[in-house]
Amino acid sequence: MPPRMPPWKKTLLTAALAAAVAHAAPASAEVDIPVLVPVTGFLALEGTSQRNGAVLAIRHAADRLRVRSEVIDTGTSPEGAVTALERASGRGKPLAVAASMLGTQMLAMLPLAEEYGIPLVTVSGTASITERGNPWVFRFFPGDEVTKTAHARYVVEELGRRRPAVIYQTTAYGQSGQAHLRDAFAKLGVDPVFEEGVDPGIRDMLPVLTKAMAASPDVLVLHLHSGPTALFVRQAAASAAGIPIVAGSAMHQPSTAALLEPAELKGVCAETSASPVSGGSPEIEKFTADYRSSFNTDPDAFALGQYDGIAMVLDAAAKGAATPEDIRDVLSQTTYKGLAMTYRSDGKGNMARSATIVCYDGASRIPAVAKRYEAVAGQ
Amino acid sequence: MILAQLMVNGIALGAAYALVALGFVLVLNATGAVNFAQGDLVMAGGFLAVALAGFIPDAPGFVLLPLVMALMALLGIAVSATAYLPLRNRPPVGVFISTIAVGIILQNGATVLFGPEPKAAAPLFGGGAFTIAGLQVPTQSIAVIATAALLIAGQYWLFTHTQLGRRLRATAQDPGMARACGIPVTSMIALTFALGAALAGAAGLLLSNQFFVTPSAGSGLILKAYIAVTIGGWGSLPGAVIGALLIAAFEVVVSYTLSYTAATAALYLALLAILAVRPQGLFGEASRRRA
Repeated sequence: MPPRMPPWKKTLLTAALAAAVAHAAPASAEVDIPVLVPVTGFLALEGTSQRNGAVLAIRHAADRLRVRSEVIDTGTSPEGAVTALERASGRGKPLAVAASMLGTQMLAMLPLAEEYGIPLVTVSGTASITERGNPWVFRFFPGDEVTKTAHARYVVEELGRRRPAVIYQTTAYGQSGQAHLRDAFAKLGVDPVFEEGVDPGIRDMLPVLTKAMAASPDVLVLHLHSGPTALFVRQAAASAAGIPIVAGSAMHQPSTAALLEPAELKGVCAETSASPVSGGSPEIEKFTADYRSSFNTDPDAFALGQYDGIAMVLDAAAKGAATPEDIRDVLSQTTYKGLAMTYRSDGKGNMARSATIVCYDGASRIPAVAKRYEAVAGQ
Repeated sequence: MILAQLMVNGIALGAAYALVALGFVLVLNATGAVNFAQGDLVMAGGFLAVALAGFIPDAPGFVLLPLVMALMALLGIAVSATAYLPLRNRPPVGVFISTIAVGIILQNGATVLFGPEPKAAAPLFGGGAFTIAGLQVPTQSIAVIATAALLIAGQYWLFTHTQLGRRLRATAQDPGMARACGIPVTSMIALTFALGAALAGAAGLLLSNQFFVTPSAGSGLILKAYIAVTIGGWGSLPGAVIGALLIAAFEVVVSYTLSYTAATAALYLALLAILAVRPQGLFGEASRRRA
């Protein structure tokens, strides 16, 4: 392991880099930022959000930048992602890549990105992608260690509930979330009264809801994909469960809420990194309006995270970062105030450490921000 | 009481699965080939119901159902014309691949046309639930059971009481002899694809209200249809229905007593046990090989 750089030296280096970059800004530079995301297959919903966020950031690029970008569908296989990266790098050296949010695809792309020296800018939540010592990966979405900590803290500290029933997906996504939820609850001195995994193909949620309610929980904690989240919330409303539901980030997605009646959403909250449709600042409202007019749909946190990530790359390029190495250095050493939050790498490429809890009032499908958790991983 | 509630849910789910499995078996019997696009045809039916609801706002599902089935029947004929008939004299693996390709095209077509978001179709007769002896029964569940039962009965009547049904059965049993008897085998095969796709469309409409539909939903359904047909007996129509109901029972009732994961494992163990005791499946014919 290389020796750690003293903080004063790091600050000096960052300042020097920023100054060099600022002075080197060319009048009109062409940059290549391919968008390699899954827009078909089981992750098409989230992948499309990613693509839209990246594309919108490129459209919003500074006038002095000429951005060349191609969207390549990675599908959902690791080889599809590797082929897409090969294809993108075969026609030149991209400044950075908007890379798939699917963890298995990211893991396959990492060695290639290191070999070619291309920064991968992603919103993948898979913890291991930033645990391999690869300096070319940057995650603009909080990982489970952040979101699940906020999730558990909201349940215990804000709602005052100490008997959670945890229902999670049996996929890698679900199991990672469940493991982090269990750790987070344990740190808060809470032991879930019920835990069960649900296969994504399961349609009827009555069995698991009935079993969960039999354990006398005081809150239902979900970590499910979009469709199963909607199915569970609908079943809980039909069964008049009568206790709050604090769901995973899938619930905040406008497409999930669209499947439910507003009344079915009453008492339902969700963790997320951000909720663009909830507003909060003129910049976010402008982003949401632009997104809607461009793609005829509502943005979610994945779109906003990817937008911020590519916007940070473009900001660096506009200030003169001309090579992938420059971009890597800027992403790994500087702070960027995005729309969703302020991003700064933790040294491993984890740029996002804030999480938000949003709640529905039962009258509309637009959630309101209930609680914001900043710098969660550092606590 | 909860067990009765789960039984109602399980029968409703199983009834919709039965339509998927029946469509699968029809094509299997008529062509001897597995139609791997059957699950994606169900997905297409779900999205078609969503799209038609856009053209006929506030129309209940039972109004859309005949339209969906008719349009899906046309799609079935198109599938037979492009993915089966040109390959009918080639090794069966060619049809396997071509139907897989059709499924991928349908998936990606749905993504392009409707977007990747889950969608819900209109309920058959409206939402809500009614109470019978303290049991909360969703209107949609009863409507699904009744509609599926009607369609299955209609198919039984078609096959056993009509000349067309006899021709379809003759084609399924021995295409060569059927052709020698003057039956237009190619048309019968195209009609079988149409029937299978129409049933898939009906299943898509029934499933997509309660359980939503996404472009990738078909891959899970084809697996269920395959298991249902294997349990029931390769090529058996009543077997497909029983197999589908059994899968739903494991999914809803057994998962209540065990866990979802354990129920899935138990389903596959049951499948292995059935195959060990009756390799031809519950209703299969031991002496015949259909595919």
